[in-house]
Amino acid sequence: MRIPRPYALLAEITYRCPLHCPYCSNPTHYCGATASVADPEADGRSADPTTALSTTRAIAEKGELSAEEWKRVIREAAALGVLQIGFSGGEPLARRDLEELVRFAREANLYTNVITSGIGLDGNRVRALRSAGLDSIQLSFQSDESSLADEIAGASAHRRKLDVAAKIRDAGIPLSLNFVIHRRNIDRLRRIIELAESLGAQRVELANVQFYGWAFLNRAALLPTREQVIRAREIAAAAKARLAGTIDIFYVLPDYYETRPKPCLNGWGQRYLTVNPIGDVLPCPTASSAIPYLRFENVRTRSLDWIWQESESFNRFRGTEWMPEPCRSCPQKEIDFGGCRCQAALLTGNAANTDPVCEFSPNRALVDAVLREINSSSDHVRDWIYRVNPNVKSSVA
Amino acid sequence: MRAITISGSVQPRLTSGVRLQTDSVTSKSVLLYPEGIIELNETAHEIVSRCDGRSVAEIVQALAKEYDADAAALASDVRETLFDLHRRKLIEWT
Ligand code: SF4
Ligand code: SF4
Repeated sequence: MRIPRPYALLAEITYRCPLHCPYCSNPTHYCGATASVADPEADGRSADPTTALSTTRAIAEKGELSAEEWKRVIREAAALGVLQIGFSGGEPLARRDLEELVRFAREANLYTNVITSGIGLDGNRVRALRSAGLDSIQLSFQSDESSLADEIAGASAHRRKLDVAAKIRDAGIPLSLNFVIHRRNIDRLRRIIELAESLGAQRVELANVQFYGWAFLNRAALLPTREQVIRAREIAAAAKARLAGTIDIFYVLPDYYETRPKPCLNGWGQRYLTVNPIGDVLPCPTASSAIPYLRFENVRTRSLDWIWQESESFNRFRGTEWMPEPCRSCPQKEIDFGGCRCQAALLTGNAANTDPVCEFSPNRALVDAVLREINSSSDHVRDWIYRVNPNVKSSVA
Repeated sequence: MRAITISGSVQPRLTSGVRLQTDSVTSKSVLLYPEGIIELNETAHEIVSRCDGRSVAEIVQALAKEYDADAAALASDVRETLFDLHRRKLIEWT
């Protein structure tokens, strides 16, 4: 198999975050708690779970990658062909060396993007990021007004975000906005779009919540009803048409309500890689928690180049050879890549299965059962569990 | 084919947040923007690299001179390329 070159690196520089969104895609636990899950396809080739467990612990004790380690990762990524880097987390501003890393990436000729809640971004840091050469900021909001937004964030944040958006705009840094859409805010879509307009964003992502990490845990509280989804789709389509030429609107569909899965990026291990706060390299950001039996390599012990080209985790689902039926003989397989490996793993226990969202999947009934439960119940507002920070030692005070 | 109307006096510029760069792996020109990358063909590269405050008419003139080509024929290529990039919000008119 010809190994492609990567185009973009997602640098999750910390899991720390001042907010507690119940849909966070970060892992819900860490430190090897899941390392004993058996590989459903194991035929003697899976890693010894006790080794994996102690390695993960050792790494967790060493804590987040240092700025020097991140610089090595960035250098190696650029050499591999990476052209873009997104700094994310957690909240990347929780690290005081974010500006230093942005500058380093910019000097390595990467296009730099910071994906942030905005909390911790004052005028000084906006200017410092600007002068470090930051190309763009993606700012997330929870809703259009503070009472609901702050309830979702589990913190008082909305007003500060409005202020941050103005500072970013004043500094002339291109601004994208990101809203995660779910049962509690989907009925406010029209006003959410109005807020985006008033903040002068160039690009707005309205992303229906995807069920990984904390969102998977809180699915019963977050999944919208069919009626809500239909209405929202119309509102999004109308706004897209009305704002064409002014703001780019990306509406990410709620895939449980679709009959075909969303494509896995551009295919597993084709264009993207993620490095998490402790240095594990992942083919996709949610893979470490969704597919606990895959062994992910760490930049502290391996070069990025080796991990990209040679590691089992990157090669396991590359191309189409690994596919079972019905994907194997499906004409869509080069288009959607059989859907999402993480979703297959979370719902069926085996990441190699066809994404259960697909109407041809023998496991589609799993998704239908969830939809039935949500759409027949009358308790619209359900409790959720707020995200808490994992216990990973930070290297920066 | 759709007629493309862009006035010759308009000054096309890369939209803020869009960067023109050489891809060191392929040596081709790429446009980088938030969460996206497009590879430019040679014609597009020649055009975009001249979007530096010059007007469309000036860009056409410069290319005609450099490649010793017919300005009228070039003009439609230039307009088409710019129109397409504008539609994708990578170029703005100033
Ligand atoms: S496995 Fe799923 S979550 Fe991961 S990149 Fe693919 S589609 Fe996205
Ligand atoms: S069977 Fe597989 S390849 Fe075909 S549409 Fe479904 S997920 Fe995609």
